[in-house]
Amino acid sequence: MTFTIVHLFPELLGTYGDRGNVDVTAWRLTQREIENEVIAVGIGEKIPKSADLYFLGGGEDDAQIAALEILARKGVMRKIVENGGHVFAVCAGLQILGESFPASAGRVIAGLGIIPIETTSAAPRSVGEILLKPTFSIESERHFTGFENHAGQTRFTDDLQPLGIVVRGVGNGLNTGVDGVVTPQIIGTYMHGPALVRNPGLADWVLERKLGALTSLDASIFDRLHEERVKASQ
Amino acid sequence: MKLRLIIFFAHGLGWLSRITRRGSGVMLTGRMILKLQPNAAKILSRKRRVVLVSGTNGKTTSTALIDAAIKTSHQTVTNFTGANLFAGIATALSQNNSATVAVLEVDEMVIPWAIKQTSPELVVLLNLGRDQLDRLSEVRVVAQKWKEALVGLPKKAVILADADDPFVVWASQHWKRVIWFSSGSLGHLDASTCPECGEVLWWSEKGDDFSCACGFARPQPDWKFTRDTLKGPKKEKVKVVSGIPGKAAISNSARAVVASTFFDIELDDAADAIARISSVDGRFGKVVIGPTRFRLLLSKNPASWKETLATSAEGPASVLLVVNANTQDGKDTSWLWDVDFSPLSGRRVIVTGDRRTDVSARLNVAGIGHVVSENELAASKIFGSVDADIIASYTAFHRLAKLVKR
Ligand SMILES: [Zn+2]
Repeated sequence: MTFTIVHLFPELLGTYGDRGNVDVTAWRLTQREIENEVIAVGIGEKIPKSADLYFLGGGEDDAQIAALEILARKGVMRKIVENGGHVFAVCAGLQILGESFPASAGRVIAGLGIIPIETTSAAPRSVGEILLKPTFSIESERHFTGFENHAGQTRFTDDLQPLGIVVRGVGNGLNTGVDGVVTPQIIGTYMHGPALVRNPGLADWVLERKLGALTSLDASIFDRLHEERVKASQ
Repeated sequence: MKLRLIIFFAHGLGWLSRITRRGSGVMLTGRMILKLQPNAAKILSRKRRVVLVSGTNGKTTSTALIDAAIKTSHQTVTNFTGANLFAGIATALSQNNSATVAVLEVDEMVIPWAIKQTSPELVVLLNLGRDQLDRLSEVRVVAQKWKEALVGLPKKAVILADADDPFVVWASQHWKRVIWFSSGSLGHLDASTCPECGEVLWWSEKGDDFSCACGFARPQPDWKFTRDTLKGPKKEKVKVVSGIPGKAAISNSARAVVASTFFDIELDDAADAIARISSVDGRFGKVVIGPTRFRLLLSKNPASWKETLATSAEGPASVLLVVNANTQDGKDTSWLWDVDFSPLSGRRVIVTGDRRTDVSARLNVAGIGHVVSENELAASKIFGSVDADIIASYTAFHRLAKLVKR
């Protein structure tokens, strides 16, 4: 079986190194000799309906709305999730999956409504290192480290599990003190690309949700990067 | 206080700062002038023909090239390299009272102020792309600022704009006197949606044309540069060579030739003057560290890394990457993942700088063999007595540029 990774619209949603998440995920599979394929889906290209893992990255207003329109057509994104597809969504990508998000000139855009979250704009823009404590136990990682850069802040409109408790930074904001969201198939976060490079434990956890336990990997450079960044934001 | 006195006083302060080695004094001089006379730039521009040069990449080099060409028949003032904010511009204008032309490099965000203050005759707009997103605004926000500011140009002013860059086209297109320049640069990292309406922008297969259903489209260029020949709207034709390596430098040289035509300079004279410039502000300068003879290259953002990696690939086999993430570099290193590092493969690569671990992780995933090193000296000991390139991010570059032999 080939593990299929789909990178959705890198031209639209790829402002903040989002390709890094895709590349490192494929790399970690390859190192373990797990066959994998990365499909970068461009604007106007066919979206595979039954891939294993889908990546939605960050982007500017217009790009975010353009991506939303494509994903809403014939309910394609909803069908992907119903088919069992897993999603890793960052920033604008996360907002798209929710009920609504803000755009320029005070507009409110209806999202895909796949997860019960809504995003509103909040000044000032949240920019900088972000440090989280995971809301679940990951053997190798006591923190998640990332960089955030977003004008929108997000609240849950129903019971949801966040990805982490904010130690430093803003995350979902609106005084929630948390970042991101975890559902059985979707992980969302404001830690933009390459969150899965800086958090190798999280990268493997994302894969294990679909593949079951993985063998350990000797890739000390990512552990060193993780430690460096955690230390720098403490 | 009289402006002449203010300038005298401010330059004295700058001189003091220089001899006491506190800094180059440029910023101090400019700040003092503007503090004592907020309209100094306006007053000092009155009797001068002003050229403004702006864009994400290439402004320092372009400014130096345009200045070199115009200098062949006019006295000019220009910025100290890279000092392109309010103070740097004021300092530039406060020099040489008898200069009739000012060629000013202007930070993208300072364009509105510079237009109001200097009433320029010519505005040269190079490109607009992603820079350090953690501190600068989104690309389209900058384009919007330009668009609003350009409306306030003096009636006779001309915009020399890049026809291949959707954001530059969008900001400039409504001005009556636009001269479109094309050097056939392909595609655009950040222009996947239409600046006018937000719909997905259509790009030709080759990436040399774009348009949108709303009517927004690439304009026909007036001046076209292909390979080594610049052709104008009245059948003008001139060969352009660049003393500075790289594709961007040759495009900037051709554009500078076009800019100089507004000052009645013969095409050949302009091209000659431009070809004689081989290094601007330490870029491509030579630095010896330990046993290694380095050539210094600057990279600031994804577009400039792409350009620099391509230029360096034609250089020596050994290359040192120095990446920091201070404020001026941008504190966010995620751009590393937007750059294709494959031009490095097969070369001897060493990585250093504050964020060398980030770079090493990036190169690991790209499958590019490399060594991580403490600093430039340690790297030079590994390289030994060879020629090598240093590709450095902003703060590292400016530290190393001080070592360049002039
Ligand atoms: Zn349009």
